[in-house]
Amino acid sequence: MPLRTLLASLLLWLPLAAHAFDLDDLHRQLAATPSLTGRFEQQRQLADLDSSLTSRGKFRFERGERVVWQLESPVEERIELTPEAIVNGSGDASPPGGEQVAQLFLQLLEGDWQALESRFELALDGDRDAWQVALTPKEPALRERIENITLDGGRYIDHLDMHTPTGDRLEVRLFDQQPLADAP
Amino acid sequence: MNVRSQQALGWAWLGILALCAVWLGWMLRHGLPADTDLTALLPADRQAPLVERADRQLGRGFENRFLLLLRADDRVAATRALGKALEQLVEDDRLASVDWRELDLADADPHDWMGQWRYRLLTPEWQRAIDRDGGEALVEPALRALFSPTARPDPVADPFGLLDAWLAYQPHSPIGAADGLLTVKAEGHDWSVLIGELAGSPYDLPLQRALHATLERFQQAHPDAELVRSGLVFHAAAGARQARHEMSTIGAASLLGVVVIIGFVFRSPRVLLQLMVPLLAGSLFALALTLGLFGRLHLLTLAFGASLIGIAIDYVLHLQCDRVIHGRGFRLRRLLPSLTLGLISSVIAYAAQALTPMPGLRQMAAFAAFGLVGAWLTVVLWLPRLRLHASPFTARLAERWWRLCQPRWRLHPVVALIAAGVLIAICAARLTSDDSLELLNPSPAELMHDEQRAQQLLHRDTGNRYFLVQADDTQALLARLGRIDAALDRAIAGGLEIDYQSLARSVPTAAEQDANLERVRRLYGSPLETLIQRAGLPAEVADAARARLDRAPRLTLADWLKTPLGGLQQRLWLGDTGAFQPNHDGVAATIVLEGTRDARTTARLRAIADGEPRVEFVDRVSRIGQLLGELRRHTALWVVLAMVVMSLVLIWRYRSQAWRVIVPPFGATLIVLALFALTGVPLNIFNQLGLLLVLGIGLDAGIFNVEYARQSSAWLAITLSTLTSLLAFGMLAFSATPALHYLGLTCLIGLASVWGLVPWVRPAGPLAGRKESAHV
Repeated sequence: MPLRTLLASLLLWLPLAAHAFDLDDLHRQLAATPSLTGRFEQQRQLADLDSSLTSRGKFRFERGERVVWQLESPVEERIELTPEAIVNGSGDASPPGGEQVAQLFLQLLEGDWQALESRFELALDGDRDAWQVALTPKEPALRERIENITLDGGRYIDHLDMHTPTGDRLEVRLFDQQPLADAP
Repeated sequence: MNVRSQQALGWAWLGILALCAVWLGWMLRHGLPADTDLTALLPADRQAPLVERADRQLGRGFENRFLLLLRADDRVAATRALGKALEQLVEDDRLASVDWRELDLADADPHDWMGQWRYRLLTPEWQRAIDRDGGEALVEPALRALFSPTARPDPVADPFGLLDAWLAYQPHSPIGAADGLLTVKAEGHDWSVLIGELAGSPYDLPLQRALHATLERFQQAHPDAELVRSGLVFHAAAGARQARHEMSTIGAASLLGVVVIIGFVFRSPRVLLQLMVPLLAGSLFALALTLGLFGRLHLLTLAFGASLIGIAIDYVLHLQCDRVIHGRGFRLRRLLPSLTLGLISSVIAYAAQALTPMPGLRQMAAFAAFGLVGAWLTVVLWLPRLRLHASPFTARLAERWWRLCQPRWRLHPVVALIAAGVLIAICAARLTSDDSLELLNPSPAELMHDEQRAQQLLHRDTGNRYFLVQADDTQALLARLGRIDAALDRAIAGGLEIDYQSLARSVPTAAEQDANLERVRRLYGSPLETLIQRAGLPAEVADAARARLDRAPRLTLADWLKTPLGGLQQRLWLGDTGAFQPNHDGVAATIVLEGTRDARTTARLRAIADGEPRVEFVDRVSRIGQLLGELRRHTALWVVLAMVVMSLVLIWRYRSQAWRVIVPPFGATLIVLALFALTGVPLNIFNQLGLLLVLGIGLDAGIFNVEYARQSSAWLAITLSTLTSLLAFGMLAFSATPALHYLGLTCLIGLASVWGLVPWVRPAGPLAGRKESAHV
């Protein structure tokens, strides 16, 4: 009897466990915070250099609208990424093709899995308090630029890690994150 | 001509036609070598074979490719559906390729293949920055770029982002990517872009049909989607559809009209067949000879030439009317002089045009002249031997019709002269002309609107205005292009609203590339050290970066054109000019201009072209307009000359009665022109071609009217000939194709005038000295 109960409860729980935390849930969880601010540390490791390019600053994220990247060191610069454009505070011309990188960056920060799924295989691991999403490009052309991307976090995205086939690595750590009260 | 020799000649003519058919079949074994391009009709511009080559090269993209812009609520799904449907056409070998996915146009990263040349390519802004203070001011932006989250920094190969700056300075395609689709952002919407390359000619009917069906199906399934089409294939398909539609309405109506009239008058279906035989024989003769003579045929030649052969219907009708009414009393000999004179005068009118320098007119004239000769021979040699069902009704009808149409008074030559003077005065005062390109453009307004929208959305030029630039060698050419670019830049800074594409923007001269490398060496001095230090990178990075400068090849034009970016500019490069201008060995390229199109801009552009030797400003639209105008003036001149020669021939034969022959053709011509002048219809090449037809039929009517003044059969034949021609050509006035409309309108007014004029100038009695048959 107890065995049967156990089996029954296992059978009951198995599908539930698989449904426990999926990409839709994660999307809803992230979308619960429409706007937030925080600090970032971006570290870029280049394969043919021993050292890395490290920058720090503040960011402000407005879901569906824009992300503002306020570099504080080693240079000061305000970079605003929207789905349409990259706007630099200094008025520098953005490099060609930058819009696509900006779009990817926005989709990652928003957890817009639906858009990302068209170009990446997605794999979710963990639960709502500590999750991790691994992204692998589907198309060979994109695979030449990106080997894989990993996002992890809890209530917010805490960490982004991107590897390229050439051995370069971009790590962005987001911390001190707070929801913006006045945002729409 | 006795019966036996006529029989022998008839067989000989049959033999010739059979030979023609075989010859034609042999020439057509690979299909009809037909030109559809309008410029093939115009004189080979002997001064400017290079311009023609440039025109062709700049227009090619429009001919072999098409472009669709799509906007829909569910854009991704709609685009996917359309893209997949078009890919099916690729599998069916209708299209060579379709690009619509984001990655379809993603060539390898420019950083991969432009990298080695970057140290010799600087934008003017960077040149100035380095010349000013060695480039210290470039450190700050370089740092910002190195740490941007969207950058892909490479501190060894390119710490300052030389290549990014240079690529940003290059003209880029407005086509980007969004949602995994090729996308243009315009008017606040995302438009999907689908680019197709045709596997065959844009005039290929099965291809047109397959593409049309695919798009129709898509639009039915997605009624909310907005689809903008651009490409020659859509215009060609619309033209073909319109032609088919008009063939089934206008064409069917005129055919029915002709059948009814001929059937009513002759009461025999055989006459109808006999009407067709000379036209078919004439067309066969003309097609074989013209093709043999010119090697190629223009489709317009075929269309207009075939309608000019329509004059031959006169010969059939005069012969048959005479036969039906005179029955056994019919003698070919009696009709032969008039038939011959009619043929000679028409052929003179066309032969005159064969002497013009216009290849299009020469072809058309040759085709019409051969056709008339062929039809005439058929009428004279074969028709009298074909059996004819002579209904007594025809003779009665002719008699009644003749009485009915007796005018109350007759035209006096002085009155005719005064009327002619008045009409000429009206024409001289009011007649305008129009040589615009729109005349040749049968595309529906909706398609033209689509074309404009596509150009607006994509900021795409059609290569209609350009500078043609020549020089002795590539380096001199690049230098010259660079000087014109600089002049254009100054004009644009001064408010001229244009944009341009030039090879010199991408490939600087060797000297400038060397100077650029020297500048980069300066930049890699202390500014580089500052940059490396502030970025927190080890000092060895600077040495590694400097080492790259020792392997910095020059970018040649050939290198550039082989890159994916340069490939897009291939159309600007004309290469060696030796083949086009034996005395001017050298190279040539174009600078394509787009933007505002007004007199001030044109004047400014001309001035820029004049400021530099061996540079020519070409405006394709106005150039084709000019050529059309030239074609029209040439035709007009030769028509007038032909009229003079015809008048002389007629005066020689008819003496004081000549004016009676002249009035129907010339009077009708003047009435058409005066009506055009009064109603404001401009004169163009197509209504002039219509006038030729009016002249030919009018002349035949004039000749028979005078030769057989007392015969009801002649008047019946004239009536039938003008009526059938009215139905065949005058109905074209209702065509939506401008060219056919003008031809038809001219025929409608002209032929009606011919018919109206004939009775007024009929001689009151039999001509003096001519033996008339008492039999009526």
